[in-house]
Amino acid sequence: MAATTSSWRARAASWLEERYELGAITHFIDSKRVPVHRHSIWYYLGGMTLFLFIVQVVSGILLILYYRPSAAEAYESVQYIVTRVEFGWLVRNVHSWSANLLVAVAVLHMASVLYLRAYRKPREFTWVSGALLLFLMLGFGFSGYLLPWNELAFFATKVGTGIPGALPVIGHDIVRLLRGGDEVTGATLSRFFGLHVAILPAITTVLVGLHLLFVQQQGMSVPPSVESRVKNGERLKETRFFPNFVLHDIVGWYIALAVLAALAAFSPWELGVKADPFAPVPPGIRPEWYFLAAFQALKFLPSHVLGIEGELFGVLVFGGLAAVFVVLPFLDRGAARGRPSPIVAWAASVIFVVLAVMTVLGYILA
Amino acid sequence: MPAITFRSSTVALALAVAAWLAGASRAAAQTPVPATASNTCISCHESLPGAASHPVTGFATDIHKTRGFTCVNCHGGDATAAEPEAAMDPAKGFKGSLAGAAGVQVCASCHSDANFMRKYSPSQRIDQAAEYATSVHGQRLAGGDTKVATCVSCHTTHGIRAVRDAKSTVYPTNVATTCAACHADAAHMAGYKKADGSPLPTTQLADYQTSVHFAAMTKKNDLSAPTCNDCHGNHGARPPGADAVVNVCGTCHTTFATKLQTSVHAAVFDRGCVECHSNHAVAQPTDALLGMKDGALCVTCHDGDNGATAATAMRASIDSLRDSVEQSAALIERLHASGMEVGAQQLALREARSHLTLSRAEVHTFDPAAVTKVVDEGLAVTATLQEAGTAATAELRFRRQGLAASMIAILLVVVALVAKIKQIERRQADDGEPPH
Repeated sequence: MAATTSSWRARAASWLEERYELGAITHFIDSKRVPVHRHSIWYYLGGMTLFLFIVQVVSGILLILYYRPSAAEAYESVQYIVTRVEFGWLVRNVHSWSANLLVAVAVLHMASVLYLRAYRKPREFTWVSGALLLFLMLGFGFSGYLLPWNELAFFATKVGTGIPGALPVIGHDIVRLLRGGDEVTGATLSRFFGLHVAILPAITTVLVGLHLLFVQQQGMSVPPSVESRVKNGERLKETRFFPNFVLHDIVGWYIALAVLAALAAFSPWELGVKADPFAPVPPGIRPEWYFLAAFQALKFLPSHVLGIEGELFGVLVFGGLAAVFVVLPFLDRGAARGRPSPIVAWAASVIFVVLAVMTVLGYILA
Repeated sequence: MPAITFRSSTVALALAVAAWLAGASRAAAQTPVPATASNTCISCHESLPGAASHPVTGFATDIHKTRGFTCVNCHGGDATAAEPEAAMDPAKGFKGSLAGAAGVQVCASCHSDANFMRKYSPSQRIDQAAEYATSVHGQRLAGGDTKVATCVSCHTTHGIRAVRDAKSTVYPTNVATTCAACHADAAHMAGYKKADGSPLPTTQLADYQTSVHFAAMTKKNDLSAPTCNDCHGNHGARPPGADAVVNVCGTCHTTFATKLQTSVHAAVFDRGCVECHSNHAVAQPTDALLGMKDGALCVTCHDGDNGATAATAMRASIDSLRDSVEQSAALIERLHASGMEVGAQQLALREARSHLTLSRAEVHTFDPAAVTKVVDEGLAVTATLQEAGTAATAELRFRRQGLAASMIAILLVVVALVAKIKQIERRQADDGEPPH
C-alpha cells in the first residue's frame, strides 16, 4: 500500500515537474533556513498577522454575501446576519474580533522589528511595505467600523472624518472626499464599503505580496547583537523553514483561532442601535481603541499651540510622526552601519508609552 | 366675610364692563410718555428714604419701562413739574397709590384694549379684567374685601416681568409660591371659608410640593406640568367645583377622564378624580392603589360586594401582565448581556409595556372585562417573548457547547502538531542535521 502511494506521488511530482519545472521551488523550500536565537519568538508575529489577515478576507467574503451597503439596509442586513443566517453570528464576531487582533498583532510585529533593528540595510523596503500595510490595516478598521451603520459608528465616523478639516486649503476638500459630501450620509457608507472591500484589499494584496517576496528573498534578519557574535566566529544556529518553522507557525495560528473562537462565543461584538443622523450625539462617543490615543491627544490640545490652531497642530504632529515611522530605516543611519542607535529605541519607547497612556485616558475619561 | 351673592356678582360684572369702557376711552391717553431727563417722579422718589424709593428701584427692571412707559401712565400727574404739589395734582389726573379696584381699572385700561395691546403684544389675551371679575378674588373685591388678590398681588407692582421671564412671579415654576404668599399664610386666610362652611386650608403649597406634578415641574423641568393656575385658572381663579374636576384633570389626562365618565363610578364619585388621587397632593399612582389588599383605595368603599370582586380581578389581571413583562425583561436583558442580538425582542418588550400602561388606563372603566382584554393582548406579546427567549437561550447554550467542542479539537491538533515537530526534529538529528 505504502509503495503504491509513494509511486503515485512520484508520478504526480514527475507530471508536474515536466510541465512547471517545480524543482527550483522545491529546492528553495528545502534549502531555506531560519535563524534560531533567543529573539526568534518574534519571528512568529509576522505569520500570525498574515493568518489573521486571511481570516479577515475569508470572513469578509462570507459577510458580503448578505451585507447591503445602504443607509436604509446596512443595519438590518447585519442584524439579519447575526440573528437569521446560520453561523452568521460566528462569522461577524470572528470578523470583528479578528480585525482588532490583527491591528494589535501588526503593531507588536512592527514594534519587534523596530527594537530588533530588523529594518536596517538591506531590508529598508520590507519595513516601508510593512509600515504602509499597518496604515492600511488602520484604514480597514476605520472604513469597516461604519459599515454596520450603528449610532456609535456613525458619530465616531463623523468626528473622525471631520479631523482632516483642520488642514488649511485642502482640509474641506479632504472631508468632502472622505464623506462623499459635507455630512456623513448613505453616500459615505457606500464610499467606505467600496474602500473596505475593493480599494484597500487591492492595494493590500500588492503590498502583502511585495512584503512576503522581500522576506523570502532576503531571509530573516538577525539582531545586531547576534550578528556581531557571528562576525566573531560564533556559529549561527538555524532551522529548516519547512517543515520546522512552518509547523511552529501553524501551532500559533491554531492558538489564535482558539482565542478568536472564545472571544466570538463569550464576548460577541454588540450591534448597538441603528444610526439616526437627526438624533442628538449620544454620550461616550469614541473611536476604536487603535485611534483612541490620537483622538484623546487632540482633545487635550489647547485651542492654539505655537500660534496655530490646536487641532491643526495635532494633525500635523501625527502626520509627521507617521511619515517618520515609514521612512525610519533611511533616517536611522547608525543601524544602517551596524552601530547601536539608542535614540530610536528611546524615542519609540516614549511614543509607545504616550500612546498607551492616551488610550487608557480615552477609556477612563469617556 | 361676605358671601358671594348675586348682587356682588353683578357689581363685579359692572366693574369689568367699566374697566373695558375706561380702557377704550383712555386708550389715547395711555400711550408711552417719552422719557425725558426731567422726570420729577423719579428724581424726587429716588432720594426719598424707605419704601417711598422702592417704586424707582423696582421699575428699573419692569417690562413697561422697556416699552417706554413711565410713572404717569399709571399714576397720572405731571412728571415735568418741579414742585410735588404740581406733579401730584389731582387736577392733572394724579391718582396716587393704586390699591384694589382702582389698580385693576388702571391695568385694564390698557390690557383690555385690543387696539392698544396689538401694538405691543398682538397675541396676548385682553380678557384678564373680565375673567378677574368672575374669579373669587374679583367677586370678593367687588363685595368690599380688600385683602383679596388683584393684578399687582401676583404680577408685583413696579417690577413686573413678562410671563416668559424665568424671574417673573408668574413664570410656571414660580406660580405656586406666588399663590402661596397668601394661601399658605394662615393669618391672611383666617376667616375665609369653603362653600361647605369649613375653613379654607392653607396646606395647598405643602401638599402640591409632595405631588407628582411638582416633581415633574421642578425635577424634570417640565414646564407643561400643572401648577395652581392650570387647574384653577389664573385671572378667573376659583375652585373647579366637584362636578368639574374630571373636566379639569381631563384637560391633560383625556383618556382617564373619558373612561371614568363612562364608568359606573361616574355617578358615584362626588369629587371625580380627587376621590382616589387627591387634589393638590397627587401622588405617583401605583398598582397598589387597586384591589382589596392593604394600601388599596377600593377598600375605602367596598367590602365583600361586586366592587370588591371587580377590584380584586382587575388587580390580579394587571399583576399577571406586570410580572410577565418583568420576567421577559429580565430574560432579554440576560440574553443581551450574553451578547445575543435581541433588537426585535426589545421592540416587542416595548409593545408589552405599552399594553401594561393601557391596561392601567383601562382600570378607569372599572370594568374587569375591559382590563382583561388589554391584559390578554399584552400576555400574548410576552408569550412570544418567552418563546423567543427560550430559543435564544438554547442557541446560547449551543454556542458555548460548540466552542467547547472546537477548543478540544484545536487542542488535539496543537498536541498532534507539537508531537509531529518533535518527531521531525528527532529524525533530522538522526540524519545528522545540526541541533538547534
